[in-house]
Amino acid sequence: MRLPRILIAPLATLALLAALPAAASAARAGANPQNSCLDCHRALDDARLAAPAKAFAEDVHGAHGLGCIGCHGGDPTDADITSMDPDKGFKGTPARKDIAEMCATCHASAEFMKRYNPQPYIFSMAEFRTSVHCKKIAVGDPKVATCTNCHGVHGMLSRKDPRSPVNRRNVPATCSKCHNPEYMKGRTVPTNQYALYRVSVHGKALLEKGDLSAPACNNCHGNHGAVPPNTRDISLVCGTCHGREGELFAKSKVKAGLELEGKRGCVTCHGNHGVQLPTDALIGTTGDGVCGRCHESGSAGARASDVIVPAFHALKARIGDADSLLAVADRLGMEVEAGRELLKQADDQLVNVRATLHGFDTKQITAVLTEGDGLADKAIAQARDALRDWRIRRIGMALSVVVILLMAGLLALRIRRLERGPGA
Amino acid sequence: MVSRLREWLRDRLGLEALEHVADKKDVPVHRHSFWYYWGGMTLFLFGIQVATGILLLLYYRASADEAYESVRFIMTQVSFGWLIRSIHSWSANLMIGAVMVHMFSAFMLKAYRAPREATWLSGMVLLGLSLAFGFSGYLLPWNQLAFFATKVGTDITGAVPVIGPFMLRFLRGGEHITGGTLTRFFGFHVAILPAVVTVILGVHLYLVTHHGMSVPPSVEGRTPPPPRMKFVPNFLLRDMVGWLAALALLALLAALFPWELGLKADPYASAPAGIKPEWYFGWMFQTLRMLPSHILGIEGELVGILGIGLGGVVWLLVPFLDDPRGQGPRARFWRVLGAVAIVYVVVFTLLVYRGATP
Repeated sequence: MRLPRILIAPLATLALLAALPAAASAARAGANPQNSCLDCHRALDDARLAAPAKAFAEDVHGAHGLGCIGCHGGDPTDADITSMDPDKGFKGTPARKDIAEMCATCHASAEFMKRYNPQPYIFSMAEFRTSVHCKKIAVGDPKVATCTNCHGVHGMLSRKDPRSPVNRRNVPATCSKCHNPEYMKGRTVPTNQYALYRVSVHGKALLEKGDLSAPACNNCHGNHGAVPPNTRDISLVCGTCHGREGELFAKSKVKAGLELEGKRGCVTCHGNHGVQLPTDALIGTTGDGVCGRCHESGSAGARASDVIVPAFHALKARIGDADSLLAVADRLGMEVEAGRELLKQADDQLVNVRATLHGFDTKQITAVLTEGDGLADKAIAQARDALRDWRIRRIGMALSVVVILLMAGLLALRIRRLERGPGA
Repeated sequence: MVSRLREWLRDRLGLEALEHVADKKDVPVHRHSFWYYWGGMTLFLFGIQVATGILLLLYYRASADEAYESVRFIMTQVSFGWLIRSIHSWSANLMIGAVMVHMFSAFMLKAYRAPREATWLSGMVLLGLSLAFGFSGYLLPWNQLAFFATKVGTDITGAVPVIGPFMLRFLRGGEHITGGTLTRFFGFHVAILPAVVTVILGVHLYLVTHHGMSVPPSVEGRTPPPPRMKFVPNFLLRDMVGWLAALALLALLAALFPWELGLKADPYASAPAGIKPEWYFGWMFQTLRMLPSHILGIEGELVGILGIGLGGVVWLLVPFLDDPRGQGPRARFWRVLGAVAIVYVVVFTLLVYRGATP
C-alpha cells in the first residue's frame, strides 16, 4: 500500500516528534548505535570537516557510546544531509559563550554522570562563573579559555590518560598555551609563571620526576573556578599540602602583620611559581636568611632570630656529631641500633623545628629545639659508650690473649720438661 | 686429701678402665703427625659450641616476632652477651673449617683403610651433621641475610628429584619460610642434631680409640716402624697448646670482628643484592650457579645436584673402592682425585667471594 504523497510530510513530522524524546534520551544515555555524522564526515575530502570524525574514535564520550548529537543535535539515523536540518534539532558548532553551559548539561548532572562513574566529578557551573575565565567570556572576550581549550574537542581524552592535556603532568603546559607573553600581549596578567614553575621544586618533581603528589597550576588556582590566589589567604592554598606549616602560620602573629603590610603570606618568604626547595639558609637575618628582609637589626623579630637560629644550627651540628660517632662505632663492629633510633628521633625533631618555625612562636620553637638537643645528646652518649666498650673489649682481648699465650707457653715448657725426663 | 678423693672416685666410678685405656693409647710420630691434631681441634671447638650455645639458650626466644630482638638483647644488654654470640658464630665457622681439614687429611693419608671403614663413615656423618648445625643455626637470628640464604638453600633442596618437594616442606614446615620454619630449625639445632651428634661422636671416638691412630701407607712399611708418643700426657698436652691457640684466635676474632646482626628478616622485602650462602656451602652454590641452564636437555641445576650427590656417595664409599694396602695405581688414582677435589672446593669457594658469575 502506498501512502498519498500529501500525507508523507505530516506523518514523518509526527513520527519524528514522537521519536525526539526517545532520541534525546538515547543521546544523553549514550545509546546511539547508528551515527551517520561519523560515517559521512569521515568520508569527506575536506580535512577540516573530516578531522573531528576521525579524532572522535579516541574520544572519551565515544568510548562511552555517546555520539555527536549530544553537543551538535541533528538526526544521526538519517544518512542524508537532511540529518543536519535545524528542524531535526541540528545546532551546528556551539557558540563559544555557550560551550560551558552545553557541557554542564551532562557534567553538572550527578544522576547522569553516575551512569558512567560511581564517583564522578560533578562540574559546577556556579563555580565556573566565579572564574576569571568565565567572567571574561561573559563580557565577550574571545581569547579566554572555555572547556574545549583545556580539555580538547572531539578527540577528548580522560584526564587519567597521560596524553590528555588536563592530565596532571600536562596541565602546566596546557595553561601556558594562553599564559605566555605572546598570547597575553596587551593584558596585565603575568606571563612568566610557566618558566618559573618548570624550575621550581614543584615543577621539577612533577615534570621531571613524574611525582604526581606535586601540584600543577590547578592545585593552587583551582581548575574550573580558576582565580589568582592573591585574593585569598595564601596559607590556605599552600596549607592544602603543607598542612602543619599552613596551620601554624595561620595562627601566627606574623600572618596578621604581613596582611597589614599587604604582603602575601607564604609567598613573602618562599615565592610562588618559582618556589625552590627551602634550605636552612633561609632561616635567619644574615646571608640568604629571609627574616632579614622584614626584621631590621635590633628589632624584636631579629632578636628572636638571634636566639633561635644559633640554637637551630647547634642542634644540626649535634646531630651531625652523633651521626659521625655512631658511624665510627658501627664500623668498629659495635651495636649502635639504639643510638641510631635516638638519632632518628632527634632528626625528626629537627624536621619538627623547621615546621614549627612557621608559627613564629619563640617559646614553642625553643621547646622543640630543647627536645631535639636532648635526643641528640643521648645518641652521642650511646655512641661514646659504644666506643668506650670497644676500647675495653680491646684491652680485655689483649689481656686474655696474653694470658692464653702464657698458658700455651707454660704447657710447651711442661712438654719439654716431661720429654727430657727419664720417662720420655 | 686430693689423693684420697681420687681413690674414692676410682672405687666408685671404675676409673681404672679409663686409666688403662689412656695409658695404653699412643700416637705414631712421623712427618704427617701434624694432621692428627685436627680431630682434637674439632672436638675442642665443638665443646666451645656446646658451652656458648647453652649460654645463648638462656636468653634466645625462637619465634619470628622475638628471635631477632632476643639476639639484639643478648648483644646489647646481656653482660658479655656480645662475646658469647661472637664466639659461638666464629667458633662454628672454625669448627667446620677444622672438620674439613680433618676429613681431607684423613682422605689424603688414607686413614679410611681397613679396619677403619666405620670410623670414616661415622666421621662423614659427623661432617654432614656439622653442616646441618651450620645451616640450621644460621637462620636463628632471623635476619635478612639468614632468611634469604635459607630460602635459597631450601629451594636447592626442593630441586632434588623425587624427595625434593617433600624435603622442602619438611625443612620449611610448609611451602614458605615462616616463623614455623624458625621454630623447626631451632628444634633441629638444639635438640635433634645434638642428640644424634652425641651418639655418632661417641661411636667415632670409640672407634678411634679402639683402632688407634692410622699410619699413612708411605710410613707404614718402613723399618724401623715410626716411634710412638704416649697420648696422655704428651700428645694431649700438645693438643691443648693447639686449643689455646684456637681460643686466642677466637678472642681476637670476637673482639676485632664481632659477628653482625644485620636487619630483621622481612619476608616481603626483596632479597639483598649478592646473596650467598655460608662459605662452607659456597663451592656447591658456585657449581650450580656456573652450570648452563640445560645440559643434554636436562635442567642444569638438576644435573648439578645429582652430580654433587653422586660425588658425595662415592666420597663416602671410598674405603670400599680404594686399594686396602694404600698402594698401587688404584691408590694413586684416589690420591689424585682427592687433590683435585681439594683444589676444586678451594677454588670454587674463592670464586663465590670474587663474585664470579657464568
